[in-house]
Amino acid sequence: MEIASGLLHGFAVALQPANVFWCFVGCFLGTVVGIMPGLGPAATIAMLLPLTFKMDPSGGIIMLAGIYYGAKYGGSTTSILLNIPGESSSVVTCLDGYQMARKGRAGAALGIAAIASFVAGTVGVIGLTLIAPPIAAFALSFSSPEYFALMCLGLALVVLLSGPSLVKGLLALLLGLWLTSIGTDLFTAQSRFIFGQATLLGGIDFMVVAIGVFAIAEVLAGIQAGEKAKLLPVPSGIRNLLPNWEELKACRFAFLNGSVTGFLIGVLPGAGAAISSFMAYGVEKAMSKHPEKFGTGVPEGVAAPEGANNADTGGALVPLLTLGIPGGGTTAIMLSALVLWGIKPGPLLMTEAPDVFWGLVASMYIGNVVLLILNLPLVPLFAQLLRLPVYILFPIILGISIVGAYGASGRLFDLGLLVGFGLLGYLMVKFEYPTAPLILGFVLGDAMERALRQSLMMSQGDLTTFVQRPISAIMLGLAVLILLSPLLRRFNQARVRAIAENG
Amino acid sequence: MNRRHVLAGAASVVTAAALNPAWAQFKPTRPVEFVVHGGPGSGNDVFARALIAIIDQEKLSPVRLQVANKPGGGSTTASAYVMSKRGDPNVIACFTNAWITDTLVQEAANNRIVDMSPIVRLVVEPALVVVRADSQIKSMADFINAAKEKPGALKMSGGSITSRENVVRQLLMQSTGARWAFISFPGGGERIAALLGGHVDMMIVDPSEAGEQVRAGKLRPVAQVNDRRLPGFPDIPTLKEAGFDIPNVPQMRGIVGAPGMPADAVAYYEDLFQKVTKTTAWQKFITDNQLDGEFVKTAELKPFLNKFEGQLRDILKEAGAKVVR
Repeated sequence: MEIASGLLHGFAVALQPANVFWCFVGCFLGTVVGIMPGLGPAATIAMLLPLTFKMDPSGGIIMLAGIYYGAKYGGSTTSILLNIPGESSSVVTCLDGYQMARKGRAGAALGIAAIASFVAGTVGVIGLTLIAPPIAAFALSFSSPEYFALMCLGLALVVLLSGPSLVKGLLALLLGLWLTSIGTDLFTAQSRFIFGQATLLGGIDFMVVAIGVFAIAEVLAGIQAGEKAKLLPVPSGIRNLLPNWEELKACRFAFLNGSVTGFLIGVLPGAGAAISSFMAYGVEKAMSKHPEKFGTGVPEGVAAPEGANNADTGGALVPLLTLGIPGGGTTAIMLSALVLWGIKPGPLLMTEAPDVFWGLVASMYIGNVVLLILNLPLVPLFAQLLRLPVYILFPIILGISIVGAYGASGRLFDLGLLVGFGLLGYLMVKFEYPTAPLILGFVLGDAMERALRQSLMMSQGDLTTFVQRPISAIMLGLAVLILLSPLLRRFNQARVRAIAENG
Repeated sequence: MNRRHVLAGAASVVTAAALNPAWAQFKPTRPVEFVVHGGPGSGNDVFARALIAIIDQEKLSPVRLQVANKPGGGSTTASAYVMSKRGDPNVIACFTNAWITDTLVQEAANNRIVDMSPIVRLVVEPALVVVRADSQIKSMADFINAAKEKPGALKMSGGSITSRENVVRQLLMQSTGARWAFISFPGGGERIAALLGGHVDMMIVDPSEAGEQVRAGKLRPVAQVNDRRLPGFPDIPTLKEAGFDIPNVPQMRGIVGAPGMPADAVAYYEDLFQKVTKTTAWQKFITDNQLDGEFVKTAELKPFLNKFEGQLRDILKEAGAKVVR
């Protein structure tokens, strides 16, 4: 009953004209920021922070949160249309989203992304409304061994992302793991693999790697294939630009999977949205009746990760609002915004500042509707972009890629890296190495290494800590099972064949 | 050029002259670049933007101050950038302890803050030693005794090995002979989560980060790392008062200018930031964030930084970090 009255109070706050306005402003800005690669929600919120000093805290947090979850909506746009991941959490969307676009289903992919975002975003808020305190306690029970097991489970997905050759997939994964270890080691403050370059002390920016091996490589491969003036097919008529019934039906489970996976991983302060989208994609592929079609443009492959990265925001707000613990860059700056407005973010926020807590929660229901209304009409519009002939489209892709990579860090050095990763991606495509495992290794490697070292320091070097803890033991077991699944399948096939032959 | 900007600034020179009669010549005529070493939203970035907001509100500067984010390699990218702006009176940066520790442990970080133009120190961030509220440990002495009983079994969460919390740990271990583990986490949220979840036993944390957890009865402060007690925690003893007489290691933020900045420009910024610290908005910022606003002027800052660098070098060596210069 407490929740119902709280939510009612929240809607009373969120539906005040000024707050509806701020919610709209936030969602609009978020969409724009999400579409532009390199400009993330954290940077946008930081730049807008001084403007919010005189705002009412409820209106302020409603707007900033709008930017945060709005950016997740827009993030898929460039992934699908141009193979440029707009945010780290929309890398996975490239895999099937861009393939759908190549098949003339760009509008459908964008539409599914928007719908998945809406469904999962709303489920995330429902989770935040109903089970925030207990789920926050669950998040705290996660210690380093559990995080390590979670990352192992994530890395095991390489089996599902590798395509025909597992060996090539594993090599790409190792390359990603190595790339992510470049920079300063947190534990010893020593630099690794920087080759005397002070610019590498902070490591390589994720966006540079992702844009390089996806977008630049795609352009290079396209040029080599002689796609001189060939247009990507874009069907005419609004009907063909939106997802059809078949496609939506195929995504039923993906909507649910994305929502739950995204929310659960989102509440963990040490995980992050990129991991949740990879996990949701992995779960989707593992459960699918036609896993072999993933990567060729199946709608579920868009719906699951896009849903996950939106449900993730609802999850990430759980520790922020119930415990005062920020899980990532964007929530950390929202926390400092609350402090600047004189609100004390912490375990007492819910009871001491119900306007802020419940107002924000209620506004997110409104915001998700606003975003759906804002994004769906844009779908046919954006899909027209692909009507451009290749000799215009490719320079646009290169331009956006360069701006995105530079914008993420503001260092010219990164543009050199971008070219390098573009060539690497091109060679990988050429020699039929999958690029997704490289990205997977890059995203998870750092967190996995940290969790491993933390665990061993905590257990004073005792490796059994990973199997003594039930949650970590289960996840590690699952990871082993996934890793062995191709062998088991091969074994099974051989057995069936043998029986048939002897039969 | 020179004459023109002297003329343009003539009116306000009169007011500034009252404070700094000898040096009040310089006045910026184009936007000042305010370099921070983190990305947007990092602690330093938020601090710099709060400073700029106060300067704008109180109309303390004739030109705009613009944040220039130079992330990468801790403070290295930012310090290299500032170093490259030799003699430029329009480039200032916000420094923290990282500007000193990075140059001590990183071979590639060779731009020392003492070779630039240190201007003022604005704040010192005190810290609290906290444990879980349901912990057996009720005081600093309890913790030290427990650590002595089971050497290496107790754990604390913190940041990098060069962070202040590890430096304090090293000093405490040296003076008491107790031993406990230091577990590094990249984000402040993860550090607190590890303590709240019971995965580590103690942490040394900014009062602004832990204050709410203390107020909600989740964490218990057992000591504070500062020269004097914070107004928000009048009952918690400082380490010294608790019987642990270790040198105080201030975690600070301040302003540094490009190397070879003209003396009149240095004096201008010293005066500007001194004015900032006199505003009520600044006082509120200090109180809200539980900082110690002990202002250090230019004349005292450089010798202080030189001494502090030596002190940190010794401590980091003891801590097992590879000190390169």
